Amino acid sequence: MALQLHEWAAAFYLVAGLVAWLGMAQRSAGLERGSVGLLLAGALLHVGALSTLHNLDPTPPLTDLPAAVSFMACIGTLFFLVLLRWLRLAGLCVLVAPVAFASVFYAVLRLPRAAAASFAGSGSWPHAHVLLSSAGLALLGVSGLAGLLFLAEHRRLKAKRPIDLRFPLPSLEALDRVNRVSLAAGFPLLTLGVVSGMLWVDAESGHLWSGSPHETFSVIAWAVYAVLVGARFGASQGARQAAASAVGGFALLCFAVIGVELLV
Amino acid sequence: MRILLLGMNHRSAPLELREQLAVEDPAPPLQKLVASEDIDEAALLSTCNRVEVVVVTRGLEAARMRLHSFFARDLGERQGLSLRDLEPHLYEHVDGDAMRHVLRVASSLDSMVVGEPQILGQTKEAYRRAVECGAAGPLLGRLFQHAFVTAKRVRTETRLAERPVSVARVALDLAHQIFEDLADKRALLIGAGEMIETALDFLRREGLESIRVANRTPERAAELATRFGASAHGLEELPALLREADVVLSSIGGEHPILTEARVAEALRTRPGRPIFVIDIGVPRNAEPTIDRLDNAYLYDLDDLGSVARDNAEQRHRETAQGEAIVEEERQRFDGWLSALRAVPTIRHLRERVEAIRARELESALRRLRLGERERGEVEQLTRSIVNKILHAPVSRLRREAEREEGMAYLEAARVLFDLDEDADPSDAE
Repeated sequence: MALQLHEWAAAFYLVAGLVAWLGMAQRSAGLERGSVGLLLAGALLHVGALSTLHNLDPTPPLTDLPAAVSFMACIGTLFFLVLLRWLRLAGLCVLVAPVAFASVFYAVLRLPRAAAASFAGSGSWPHAHVLLSSAGLALLGVSGLAGLLFLAEHRRLKAKRPIDLRFPLPSLEALDRVNRVSLAAGFPLLTLGVVSGMLWVDAESGHLWSGSPHETFSVIAWAVYAVLVGARFGASQGARQAAASAVGGFALLCFAVIGVELLV
Repeated sequence: MRILLLGMNHRSAPLELREQLAVEDPAPPLQKLVASEDIDEAALLSTCNRVEVVVVTRGLEAARMRLHSFFARDLGERQGLSLRDLEPHLYEHVDGDAMRHVLRVASSLDSMVVGEPQILGQTKEAYRRAVECGAAGPLLGRLFQHAFVTAKRVRTETRLAERPVSVARVALDLAHQIFEDLADKRALLIGAGEMIETALDFLRREGLESIRVANRTPERAAELATRFGASAHGLEELPALLREADVVLSSIGGEHPILTEARVAEALRTRPGRPIFVIDIGVPRNAEPTIDRLDNAYLYDLDDLGSVARDNAEQRHRETAQGEAIVEEERQRFDGWLSALRAVPTIRHLRERVEAIRARELESALRRLRLGERERGEVEQLTRSIVNKILHAPVSRLRREAEREEGMAYLEAARVLFDLDEDADPSDAE
């Protein structure tokens, strides 16, 4: 059931991306609205898929990369849909839907092969760590994407180039607001993710710190984000610097969470 | 039936001449035109960029002379202009070219600013007034309806109208790329000249609630502010006003820039994270170009806005090829419909001829057969059905072929084969 729902969610995300692309090419508001509807349907199926994950045999651990990526995509998509309620971001569906599709598709391919992990004695810390970190990563991903688009639009405006009608970006103000809100919500989740990770290590080894590369880089990334959040909300950082920081911060975070995992 | 169009536009005639020929109420001249023997239908389009008359006629030469005289006497003479003054500026289009021209005009492909939306409304209005005064008939009706459909296709299938080409529109589009919603933003207008007045009107229509006008002479600023529901200020308040402004538009005289980098940087320091959009349309420039180096400041002067507008105009020009292709496709479709009309007299004559034969032969047969009422009805229905079925294929073919240039041969063949002399009485058929 969980896999079928994952497949359906992937299909909806794919169709949402195609419809969004068509809407952009045809400049059709109807298709644009349709793509948002399909994305919402995909997200609901995705929630259903994740909530029935425990029915799989063997039950894939949430600490496994496919499940974490799927969870991250789900949170990111839901957050984007919430932002859509009050900002003109519908055009971004053309970027968000394919990312969601790729993540879920990857999960569908890998989940059946995931082996059941044993975390006897760790309690619920592993799950808490993965859920909180993935949610934080998803929101900070949205913040990074908004930052990237902000920099592109800022550059265009400064270079006095005409608006690209094939892919009109949201306003700078909207992108900056997305960046700010995502950072404000994503950083506390990331903090809780790091703390729960340390508690997991403590439950397993009796020490809060094991010194693994993943742990080291995650804490470095968290510290960098802490500085960025301080600059953004405390030292009144400018919108362009905030956008650049969001992009850089997310790149570092991706390396800490996924890159290190793949390298080691 | 022929279609003839005579007129002048922004390319063929200077503004002084066009404005002298402008027609406020087209009904009287149109009624006069269609009252003449040579013109069956007429419509007149008069805008600031063009004066054009399109007519449907059976005698092209006579209609041509009538239209030239119409321009000289009815439009020119009242302004002291003779045909000699007008002739070099007039252009003429006949049949296919006239159809194409009407379609291009309605689609804004012939406009001074290609893609501007007003011309479609003006064309609709011209047609409505021609209908109201009884000057437009079925053929012009079909032509104009076709023009409106073409204009809609050009608008939706190309990006012709999407790129703004006026400086004001470009500035507003840029503001929308910086700010999510302009309604809650504060605008500061520096100066009180004509440009500022136009900008005030523009910004008000965009829904900006807070607009401030600052000028050297506060009285002039106050006068403008009162008219547009804004607030008036002196230039000494500029630093404070800049701190609150999101959009600054400046057009004021003076040798030195009134908006310096230091002043804008100071304003930005007091409102971190909030960008400022500075539009400098003053000559000489009112803002130091180095303002654009500030992170949260976006400065566009007249050259920048003009350059974006020119880029957009070039993009529009590239889109015109697609628009022209749509116009050509629709013109051919209309031409086909018009050509099909050529088959109407032949088809009507053929039907009348066959119907006459059927009626005569039926009457003769019924006289001999002495049938009852019900049987007579059955036989009559049978003959009608046979005639319709036999005629269906050749009539459809004639209609189809008439839409093509070579279709005349089919019409001629039908006339010879069925002996359809246009002047002969169908009942004479043997």
